[in-house]
Amino acid sequence: MTGLSLPAIRGRVAFVFEEVDFDVDQIIGVKNIKLRDPAELASVAMQSYDPQFAQQVKQGDVLVGATNFGYGHPHYPPMIAMRHLGISAVIAESFSPGYWRGEIAMGFAQIACPGVLQAVRRWDEIEIDWSQHQLVNHTQHTALPFEVYSQADREMLAAGGIMGYLKHLRTKDSA
Amino acid sequence: MGLTMVEKILARTSGSARVRAGDNIQAKPDFVVAYDFPGYTDVIFQQMKNDFGITHVAEPERFALFIDHMVPAITTQEEDLHQNTRDWGAANQVPVYERKGIGHQVAAELGYATPGALVVHFDGHISQLGTFGTLALGVRRHLLEAFVNDHIRLPVPHTTRIDLVGEMPHGVMARDVFHHIVRVLGAASCRFQVLEFGGEAVQRMGIDARQTLTCLAMFTGAISAIIAPDDITLPYAKARARLDIEPVYSDANAVYAARHTIDISGLQPVVVVPPSPANTRDLSEHLGLPVQVGYLGSCASGRIEDLRAAAQVLRGRQVHPGFQLHVVPTSQEIMRQAAEEGLLTDLIAAGAFVSSPSCDYCFGRIGVMTAGQRAVSTGTLNVKGRMGSTDSEIYIVNAMAVAAAAIEGRIADPRDYL
Repeated sequence: MTGLSLPAIRGRVAFVFEEVDFDVDQIIGVKNIKLRDPAELASVAMQSYDPQFAQQVKQGDVLVGATNFGYGHPHYPPMIAMRHLGISAVIAESFSPGYWRGEIAMGFAQIACPGVLQAVRRWDEIEIDWSQHQLVNHTQHTALPFEVYSQADREMLAAGGIMGYLKHLRTKDSA
Repeated sequence: MGLTMVEKILARTSGSARVRAGDNIQAKPDFVVAYDFPGYTDVIFQQMKNDFGITHVAEPERFALFIDHMVPAITTQEEDLHQNTRDWGAANQVPVYERKGIGHQVAAELGYATPGALVVHFDGHISQLGTFGTLALGVRRHLLEAFVNDHIRLPVPHTTRIDLVGEMPHGVMARDVFHHIVRVLGAASCRFQVLEFGGEAVQRMGIDARQTLTCLAMFTGAISAIIAPDDITLPYAKARARLDIEPVYSDANAVYAARHTIDISGLQPVVVVPPSPANTRDLSEHLGLPVQVGYLGSCASGRIEDLRAAAQVLRGRQVHPGFQLHVVPTSQEIMRQAAEEGLLTDLIAAGAFVSSPSCDYCFGRIGVMTAGQRAVSTGTLNVKGRMGSTDSEIYIVNAMAVAAAAIEGRIADPRDYL
């Protein structure tokens, strides 16, 4: 996809979700799942995991997850909250397809990186090297390969989500 | 090397002689289907017009809309959504099927489950059209692509073959078989793949049981499920098919990501304990647990086989005092058949509250639970808050076990009533 590149990702590991088959709705609590305002969602996020999360997280930070991250019946609000707080990507051992599709369509980077739970600790500084397909841990001076995107996923992410992607396809087709 | 059914369907729809798992392709879905839901269809209609300048779909016969959630409407906003759907359908000459039942079932009844066809929806339970050899994918917000463009871009998925062998034991239903598969293979076992069910036990299953198996594929991580059409499914599907497509079958030497053979002959009824569809346990471990609510219905269960099974348990018996048993046939066609067979009479006589087809009990829009209440359910999911309060609980069981629990007011072994 000419003219579009994947977003630069460099930041700290703001949280590690170690639970397998993690249900992302737990991030805001199911009772808050119908909230729509990003700021309000952000204010309820992570309360049962780390009440100080919102104060500690910085723009560009990432989340790390275990195997089959996003399993269950994932809704969009938890990650709307996370993006509002500055989270730039989720890096997990592997993802549940429904969650994956939903977030890639939102233009939110999801990176499948087997071994990531062992390779990072909370607050490590990490970077995604798109050209080498590596997760670089600047704190521990290590690197770990991640899985390459399908063409459609890569283009959608580079275009910032489904809307940008479809508009870009139209421009390309009519060019 | 040979090809899977999935590869053959995606070769045809992408205009290629041959595609293999992992290839990046552009495929033209034969059918694009959706139920109306806030944030999905209303947004898609708006984006088509405002962002892409599309006022009419080019091939209306490729599209179908269902009104099955929020039926009947209880707020004007809900009815506004439905009216918007009807208006869009009328303006685009796209059929809108309303009050006929849960769309995934009605889609099969109306011939969208054409063997060999490719169908897309935003909802993953559309996978159940795979019962008829149709590849049906739930793609969430990517569905917009199928409304805006003829073709959608996707990687060809790998297939995992699951052969089921052995006789289905007494008191065990397809619902138990599926959740047993999750227990054996794991909730992440088939991520991004399509399940292909086969084997002697599947060949002996009726259409209803196969629809249950394929409907729930997502809980193994799969993106769909498919079964080779046979003498049981072909007459049903062919008589209703909307397209003249040759059914496809996997080659004997097809390449699978994995192959598993699972013997179901020793299987006991199971229960999926909250709060995750990954939590399959033997029902026997939870006998006696008090329950106040029972739900028999959904796109996964609630078909004639389920209603017959529940009626068999409840016939001549009474629902436990105070227990709320909701029975919701999956479609009008099924409800009418249940009426003709006398099943509704049996269920009503036993004290069941029988409602017309709707998705609404399954996702907690009606018949909701308060904190501390517990349900046995044939709904699709048992996550927190799915059927009301986040402090209520859902135990997923087969239709007979819902009926048995309704009699005792606690989780009970349905085999005691057969």
